[in-house]
Amino acid sequence: MLKNIRRLSQAFFLLIFLWLFLLTESRGENELGYPVKVFLEADPLIFITTTLSTRALYTPFLLSLLIIIATAVLGRVFCGWVCPLGTLHNMAGTLKKKSLSKKSYNLYHWKYIILIFLLVSSAFTLQLSGILDPLALLIRSLSLSIYPLFQYATAGVFDAVYAWHLPVITDFSEFIYGMLKKTVLSFHQPYFNQAVFTGLLFLGILALNLLEQRFWCKFLCPLGALLGLFSRYAILNRSVSEGCDGCGVCRRSCQGGAAPDKKDKWLKSECMACMNCDDLCPRNAVRFGFSGKPAGVALDIGKRRVIGSMIAGLIAVPLLRISPLKKAGAAEPRLIRPPGSLDEKAFLQRCIKCGECMKVCITGGLQPTLLEADLEGIWSPVLVPRIGYCEYRCTLCGQVCPTAAIRKLSVEEKASIRIGLAMIDKGRCLPFAHSTPCIVCEEVCPTPKKAIWFEEVRVRNRNDKTVTVKQPHVDLELCVGCGICETKCPVLGLPAITVTSIGESRSKDNQLLLP
Amino acid sequence: MNRRDFLKSAMIGGAALTVPMGLDPILTALVAAEKTDLAVASGTPPDKITRAAIDALGGMKRFVSRGDVVVVKPNIGWDRTPEYAANTNPDVVAAVVRLCLEAGAKTVKVFDHPVSNPRRAYKQSGIADAAAAAGAAVSFIDDRKFKDMQINGHSLKSWPLYTEVFEADKVINVPIAKTHGLSKLTLGMKNWMGVMGGSRGRIHQRVNESIVDLAIFIKPVLTILDAVRILTDNGPQGGNLTDVKQLNMVIAGTDAVAVDAFGATLFGMKPAELGCVRIGHQLKLGSMDLEKMKIKRITV
Repeated sequence: MLKNIRRLSQAFFLLIFLWLFLLTESRGENELGYPVKVFLEADPLIFITTTLSTRALYTPFLLSLLIIIATAVLGRVFCGWVCPLGTLHNMAGTLKKKSLSKKSYNLYHWKYIILIFLLVSSAFTLQLSGILDPLALLIRSLSLSIYPLFQYATAGVFDAVYAWHLPVITDFSEFIYGMLKKTVLSFHQPYFNQAVFTGLLFLGILALNLLEQRFWCKFLCPLGALLGLFSRYAILNRSVSEGCDGCGVCRRSCQGGAAPDKKDKWLKSECMACMNCDDLCPRNAVRFGFSGKPAGVALDIGKRRVIGSMIAGLIAVPLLRISPLKKAGAAEPRLIRPPGSLDEKAFLQRCIKCGECMKVCITGGLQPTLLEADLEGIWSPVLVPRIGYCEYRCTLCGQVCPTAAIRKLSVEEKASIRIGLAMIDKGRCLPFAHSTPCIVCEEVCPTPKKAIWFEEVRVRNRNDKTVTVKQPHVDLELCVGCGICETKCPVLGLPAITVTSIGESRSKDNQLLLP
Repeated sequence: MNRRDFLKSAMIGGAALTVPMGLDPILTALVAAEKTDLAVASGTPPDKITRAAIDALGGMKRFVSRGDVVVVKPNIGWDRTPEYAANTNPDVVAAVVRLCLEAGAKTVKVFDHPVSNPRRAYKQSGIADAAAAAGAAVSFIDDRKFKDMQINGHSLKSWPLYTEVFEADKVINVPIAKTHGLSKLTLGMKNWMGVMGGSRGRIHQRVNESIVDLAIFIKPVLTILDAVRILTDNGPQGGNLTDVKQLNMVIAGTDAVAVDAFGATLFGMKPAELGCVRIGHQLKLGSMDLEKMKIKRITV
């Protein structure tokens, strides 16, 4: 019975999570209006690593105290009852052939090693927790790969039926399509770099459930490890009565691999309070209660492993930072960060690569980096104007960033922030190189005083005829680097006007004009 | 002029001839309205002057018949709120929608293909909400509904255009008057860029000829130019309230060239200074000779 309540709880939180995920999308209004980042704000691993790496307390994270307190009292109930990734693992695990063998992997210490590495490196300002934090990983994977895949497949089916133009069937299909578009489908097909890689990684992690149920949760999840540590003195304890006959049903159904058949040697830090052993014990010998008697043993990770992990965490900091990009003034030109981003050093201390900003970006211009921001910044957001520009009055990325790596801006504040500068390639621009009128860039420039001005010039074309063309020029003082000129430039592929990060307000070094 | 209009005019003309003038004021007004080339309504609020302008042309029943599917094509090009005069005034659009429904239209469709992000443009312009409240079927552009059309114009041979425009019974153009860096002004004829698919930035290479080709190919029954607020500088996107001039005017007409010609005068320009007007006049799409036209001015 408890098992079923737990399942209901898992379903509830998974649905809430997916519902908030779907709400992370513009409706055309200025404010998003939904607490889409609440799961990330309640994540204790992100709370602790961000506080360590920034040496500052960011108050929304106090929400994670709820989870910490719940864990300290009840054990890893988050893992067993709440975590949406855990629920997905359970669902994937149903595909595993049930084997009755005693063989199981003994890799519990791995996740603690990962956790220690993350804690130590973040204490020295290197924030890598987002790569393996389950919630950041889940949101990133869904945003960059799984949801776009789902959208593509669904739209593909309906578009095919539409193209057939069958009398009744097409109308019915369009009706269903319309309903789906209002609910679970995205407004536009999302396209992201590295989608294949991200998707395969995520599906691979889910596929690990075929090796062992909840492989990730037992052996890899750093948040599970953290909660395991917190659950050491939980007052919800498991007791096994004399009626136990060692049948092993509890061991086979244990989701945390907490060796429940070992009674007093039950691994408390691995128990996810899934209640399977309580419900399934044929002798009704298992009971979870608040008896107050401390039970079970702590996991022995191994001294050498702990020290090794700490050293790795220490070495990682300088190892990842000896890249030439860290040299003052050596800015990566195409690393155009979202408006409201902190300066690069502070940004990397905060960005947890959760993908929320990329999901919500209305033009699809925010893409995940690979190495443009060094390994430390992998999967952090970069604006790629060729794919999408930054809509002048939109402030959604700052609204959804859970760590304020991208600050929340008002529309007025945003107008005074520059993320880069556009410059014209006169060898490609039509009015300059090809005696042909254009100035689409000037038309779409959103700055109120127009950061692109034009000069009427008489040029000769090939037939020796004089034509008057308007040649565009960028006003470097007014340009905010939004990239719409590059996006809309008709010289597709390699535009005649491109934006680079120079001049970005957030950087002291990466400047061009004398103030 | 299509057959319906001709028969109507003939009947009214014939009836009028048999009834001495002055004995039937309705017929008088109708005859007078038939001859009006342009209606220029001034005053407030926007929906009242929109109605007045269309009534001065003979009422929406002259253009929309019972059971018609009507496409009302406003300018929802940009992510700007109404006071910045970058998109058509939402009250003007709503008034046009209501007039069409009152004239018996079965469905009134409202859409545009914005340059800015569509969800923001539709929402921030206020047009989607206002038109929907007035009873229109507002929709976003569906990329599947662009089809290559043989325009066979002087500039454009063929171009992907939005099929819903051509599936409708009647099309009404509802642009806003603004300046434009390349074409000097953007009024009614340029508004047809909003039904173009593909890489439409390319038409800047022959902008005036191309938009006249579109205006010839798409035959709106009515052009209603929103000049409640006009954008006098840094158009077509604007963003500076100091560039907006409150004129409180709406201009309506069946001749797209004439409407644009009149629109030019609002900016202190002569009609011939506008490339598309000049070319439209030369190609006999319409007339830019405002002095020869019957312009009815109404003040509300």
